[in-house]
Amino acid sequence: MAKKPKTNRFSITNEKFYNFIKLTIAILLGLALAFVVLCFVSKDPVNAFVTILTGPLKKPRYMGVVIEKFVPFLFSGLCCCLLFKCGFFNLGGEGIFIASGLLMSVFACNEQLAIAGVHPAICILVAAVSGGLLMLIPAFFKAKYGANELVLSLMLNSAYLGLGTYIIKYHFLTTTTSLIASPDYQPTARIGFLSGQFFQDYHISITFFLGILATFLVWFVLYRTKLGYQIRLVGTNPKFADYAGINSFSLAMKTNFIAGALCGIGSAIQLLTQFNYFNWTGVNSPGIGFSGALMAMIGQSNPIGTFFASFFIKYLEQGTTVLYYSDTSVPSEIVAIIEGVIVLLVSSTYFLRRLREKKLLKEGLQSEYRNDREAK
Amino acid sequence: MSGLSQILASMVSLKFVAQIIRMSTGLFFAATASFVAASTGVGNIAIESIMTMSALFGVLGSYWTQSAIGGLVIGIACGILMAAIIAFFSMRLGASPILVGIALNTFAGSLATFFLYQFTGSKGSSASLRTPGFGSWDIPVIKDIPVLGEILSGHYVLTYVCVAVVILLYILIFKTPLGMRMRACGLNADAAKTAGINVDRLRLLSLILSGILSALGGVFIALNYINLYSSGMISGQGWMGIAANGIAQGNYLSLILAVLAFGLFKAVAVVFVGTEFPSELIGSIPYIAVFVGIALISVINYYRVKKGNVAEK
Repeated sequence: MAKKPKTNRFSITNEKFYNFIKLTIAILLGLALAFVVLCFVSKDPVNAFVTILTGPLKKPRYMGVVIEKFVPFLFSGLCCCLLFKCGFFNLGGEGIFIASGLLMSVFACNEQLAIAGVHPAICILVAAVSGGLLMLIPAFFKAKYGANELVLSLMLNSAYLGLGTYIIKYHFLTTTTSLIASPDYQPTARIGFLSGQFFQDYHISITFFLGILATFLVWFVLYRTKLGYQIRLVGTNPKFADYAGINSFSLAMKTNFIAGALCGIGSAIQLLTQFNYFNWTGVNSPGIGFSGALMAMIGQSNPIGTFFASFFIKYLEQGTTVLYYSDTSVPSEIVAIIEGVIVLLVSSTYFLRRLREKKLLKEGLQSEYRNDREAK
Repeated sequence: MSGLSQILASMVSLKFVAQIIRMSTGLFFAATASFVAASTGVGNIAIESIMTMSALFGVLGSYWTQSAIGGLVIGIACGILMAAIIAFFSMRLGASPILVGIALNTFAGSLATFFLYQFTGSKGSSASLRTPGFGSWDIPVIKDIPVLGEILSGHYVLTYVCVAVVILLYILIFKTPLGMRMRACGLNADAAKTAGINVDRLRLLSLILSGILSALGGVFIALNYINLYSSGMISGQGWMGIAANGIAQGNYLSLILAVLAFGLFKAVAVVFVGTEFPSELIGSIPYIAVFVGIALISVINYYRVKKGNVAEK
């Protein structure tokens, strides 16, 4: 094969820079549409828009909420990241947040385990293992028999919500309040913020560093290990992977277990940092498992991209919350509009493609151009 | 266990048959929506989100025009718009239809809440709006026939529309040249293109049809049971439709049977509501039934392919 011609790093002909430009324009278009919507719903759209963008910066506490809330999101996003890379559209994350969260709550309420420091670790471990195992159910039918894992996982999500509500209501109900919720967790199980003024102000607990560690580990596994190479190969070309002798069934099981474990950890973190009891019952579903798919898509199935995507979306949501204090006409769901535009544009392979193709031809990079065309 | 025997007794009645038909209506719309999109090989998995949005706009339309028909028209317009969005991103901009579907399904709930809040000030339901619905219809002569009347008469108006849609769709897909071309696109798009069929146009058509059918399902759910929109009211019916289509694998009769089976489980769940049995547990039955159905059919297919009876796709 001919030597690959050098391309300018900051030109649209460079694949990475092209993706970056695409993401930036998608974000700008998303924000622009949000502004247009704001013009319709808010009396003071300019101020509302500025508040959404800068609101969380006003007080450390606001920023703290972003940091606190984005960690479980990140775990759910990392889960989908791994699955998408392996070619799995398994949306079981939502169900795992419920089922693993419930199982973990049983441990978190247990008095015998109430040893400071060890208790949260046990809870997170329980959630991780149960999450991994639960993720294997739809994955097994997909990998072994070719069933539609998307529908399977969604049906399980709904079933878990119903079963979870039943268990809470009839076997595990709190006696102190009228909520349909589990009893309060043992104080030892809760994960508090780290000591120190800075950590307290910005709501930083050990989970934040766990999130960074998990992001790095997923990145490392995907791009620096044999397992990761196999995952990416199966994701891009399953037939070739099969031909190359990769056991796609056991690989699928491994990947789904890791992904499910990530989701379970996310669930445990969400419950142990922000809640004192389990009340994802009835119609009160957390929704984080689904949002993880969006985060992974915005992050273009890259763990580091997912990290920033989760942070960005949670930041915008906090911005709308801050806005809500002064202007109740804009609900926080406006972030969904921004999210939607970004996700749809980022996953569009032809978006800005023509611009790139013109440039490629102009610079005489015919081989790259042909690659692009074939990719269609 | 007298409670259980009473419940079982109530299942062996004509009312229960009518209940199955009622429960299946939304599923029929969703399943046909999935079927028509799959027939040209595009695959629409955003049915759940289209149903959610058109349920909301059906209710809002009914409030704005103060007529159920107006609600239906606006709901269908919303469905067409959603289908056009899917078509634009998947066909013009080259996004994976699955990703577009996941994205739409994920944020449609929030988007619906956003609009609901804008128009009603509530994030939960549209109960504050006066919205006329379709109601039910007694067929003049048939309703007096003893057995048939109880089964066939007194259903929701859109249930009759649904029956008509199921029959018309069958004729369109399997008995007309247009339907044959659509199926040709689904079987082998390249061959269809060579034969001079405009594949893209037919796929757009099937997506739009799928959008209209999903919208009908959404409007049915919102404007028949309780005449209001509440968040989460579609509760996976779009996905059940997709599951039914997955089980049917292009066979129209299997599609109808699968939907009726899911409808049966939904009707069973309804019968148990208000009895001593925990409704949460019973409410999970339809989902578990769909799970078992999909899993089972994939296992059966696997062994059929393995035995060599059917060529692997």
